[in-house]
Amino acid sequence: MDLDESYVDDRRERANEPLYIPPIAAEPTTSINLAQTLFQPSEFDESLEDQLAQSISSCDRRHPLVSTEIPNVFPHRYDKNFLILTSAGKPIYAMKDGDGTIAYMGVIHTIMNYFKLKEDQDLRCIENGDVRFAFLDREPIVLVAYSARGETSNELFSQLDFLHSYLLSSLSERQLSKIFSKRQNFDLRNFLESTDFENLDEICSLLCERLYPDALLGALRSLSMKKSHRAQLHEAMSQQLTKEKDLPRGTLLYGLIVAPENKLCSVLRPKGHTLHTTDLHLLFCLIFHRFQNLDDSQELWVPICFPKFNANGFLYGYIKFLPKCNSILVLISAQKDAFFNLKSFADHLIKDISSNGLLEEIHKAKGFKISDIPAPLVHHFIYKSKKHVQYVMPELELHSDTEPEQLIELERKFMTYYQQIHNSVVRDDGLAFNKSCLNFIRWDSDAIEPSEEPIAMLGLGWITPKFELYLICNNGVDDKHVIFESAKRIISWCRKHESRLFVNEGAIF
Amino acid sequence: MLQFKLVLLGDSSVGKSSIVHRFVKDSFDEFRESTIGAAFLSQTIKIEDKGSQQEVVIKFEIWDTAGQERYKSLAPMYYRNANAALVVYDVTQQDSLAKAQGWVNELKTKVGEDDLVICLVGNKLDLCTEEGESSSKPKAVESSDAEGYANEQGLLFHEVSAKTGEGVKQVFQSIGEKLYEFKKHELANSKGRQGAGGDTVNVQLQRPSTNDATSCCG
Repeated sequence: MDLDESYVDDRRERANEPLYIPPIAAEPTTSINLAQTLFQPSEFDESLEDQLAQSISSCDRRHPLVSTEIPNVFPHRYDKNFLILTSAGKPIYAMKDGDGTIAYMGVIHTIMNYFKLKEDQDLRCIENGDVRFAFLDREPIVLVAYSARGETSNELFSQLDFLHSYLLSSLSERQLSKIFSKRQNFDLRNFLESTDFENLDEICSLLCERLYPDALLGALRSLSMKKSHRAQLHEAMSQQLTKEKDLPRGTLLYGLIVAPENKLCSVLRPKGHTLHTTDLHLLFCLIFHRFQNLDDSQELWVPICFPKFNANGFLYGYIKFLPKCNSILVLISAQKDAFFNLKSFADHLIKDISSNGLLEEIHKAKGFKISDIPAPLVHHFIYKSKKHVQYVMPELELHSDTEPEQLIELERKFMTYYQQIHNSVVRDDGLAFNKSCLNFIRWDSDAIEPSEEPIAMLGLGWITPKFELYLICNNGVDDKHVIFESAKRIISWCRKHESRLFVNEGAIF
Repeated sequence: MLQFKLVLLGDSSVGKSSIVHRFVKDSFDEFRESTIGAAFLSQTIKIEDKGSQQEVVIKFEIWDTAGQERYKSLAPMYYRNANAALVVYDVTQQDSLAKAQGWVNELKTKVGEDDLVICLVGNKLDLCTEEGESSSKPKAVESSDAEGYANEQGLLFHEVSAKTGEGVKQVFQSIGEKLYEFKKHELANSKGRQGAGGDTVNVQLQRPSTNDATSCCG
């Protein structure tokens, strides 16, 4: 494998410093002062220090300072909120609906209009100490985020765009502008249904509380499965389409099999056409939030607007829970009465793929573990293949007695690490600093309690035109050479298993 | 086997999906999420031919529609060509009966078929019978009122509880029997024409035309 990518070490000065990193975290850096951060110089002589460092990198023995427990360096604060209001200043939604929220909306509305009138331009961002406000004006809807978690402005804008896209997917742009052209001060809350508010809650929770890098990376998570099985699935889809001669042209636009945790398993699509990643994110959110208690006795027919595809029209989704594999088949049509055509397509397809055991194969596809890859001292990573617009990551290894709250805690912690690693290799506008860019980032802290380990977390972000890699090391690791070697091994492993890890072309018609 | 199309209509959260699930899966989920769009399910029942004493198998193809106002414009797609409609209200919510009556009127004006069987169903009977319990709610719709309306309009009428299962089977049984009465005559005719082989009558959904201004990129 050719890894002769040029890379830069990012040592940017951040004008608005501690905005994004809690005080215990250090600047992104490639030079780590071992003596200062890990060991007390008075207690260790240099040779001992070398020995210790050696034992960490060799990984032959478990060193007490290297721990697979990933500490949480991000204090949990109620430090983020999303607000949605109408251009006339009427509240629509707030992620955290406190007492003063509605009053804020009035203030926000006033401030935004002040800028419009006085400066003749839109207000986009306000920074105040640790807190950043981002404003997205999508007449007749205004969206506002505030956060003290250190996201880039671009990340906040894209999260707001995601929420706006959800509103469009439910209402469509056409309907929305129709409503507001009649009455500018319309109260949209009366028009939205309880399901809309639940879905908004779900999307906000995904964006803020879960290990959901999909939106941050603009990519879909793919289901790892044997190349031959995926090929058989795609073959079955293509063949079924050839067999269904009665299916009028344009009836079936797009077909997908989606495994649990929003993992893409296979795709059926027209030549030269793919759906926008945001549209698919919305669809996947809807599927796995709304249809968790779906069983294989029912089939659904759901109107949905794909805002990035056509914000003015509705498409219709045939959604069927696949027996034996917990996955869901989605067929998309532009025609609202195509249900029975798609049902017959689906019935035949499911019969076909269950007769040759492919449903069981989907069920058996369990992903991979970090230990499957010879990458010492790496705790977890995310690898995105830019060509596929998909990413993979090792399964989280949980104790069997993990409580749901602990899982959320863990996911939020991981996500915050990844956000900060990601943000250390991109500019505030979301673009990478360079075509290729590699950066180490480090979080340090002394143990607060004597029983706790000191925190010395190292992360790596590596962006090239072909891939993006974000990795988190075990606590206490500081040998960048070992980590760099591990990173290269991960990349070579992902490339070697590319056809297993990612959905390549899919079935194309 | 006879096959009939059945559609459920009614205000949101009156329990349409719960009734269908009690009927199809014989289960109840306290925290069912609202339906988006519509769900399609099927279930078979057996009824007895009163003349020949023979068992007849009836398969229902069921459209469980979303009660939310947003999806109201899609409803005709589901009730067009239906053989039976279950119009559901919540016995503890007076408003929901008015909504149900709205659906009955819409069906009577939009669906020309004389043999469309409409059944008015009051759900959540369990809430009113759990006497003394905190969850108990007063019955807002008197059986006699709803039944009187049903008789006036020529509808079947039942009160059920999807939670306990009370009365749910009977709803579908009575609809099946009524539909069978209607179709028996037709069936006899088709048998006459096709000889002995005409046991199956597929009452298939007619696929409406695809010229639809609201669908995009047509």
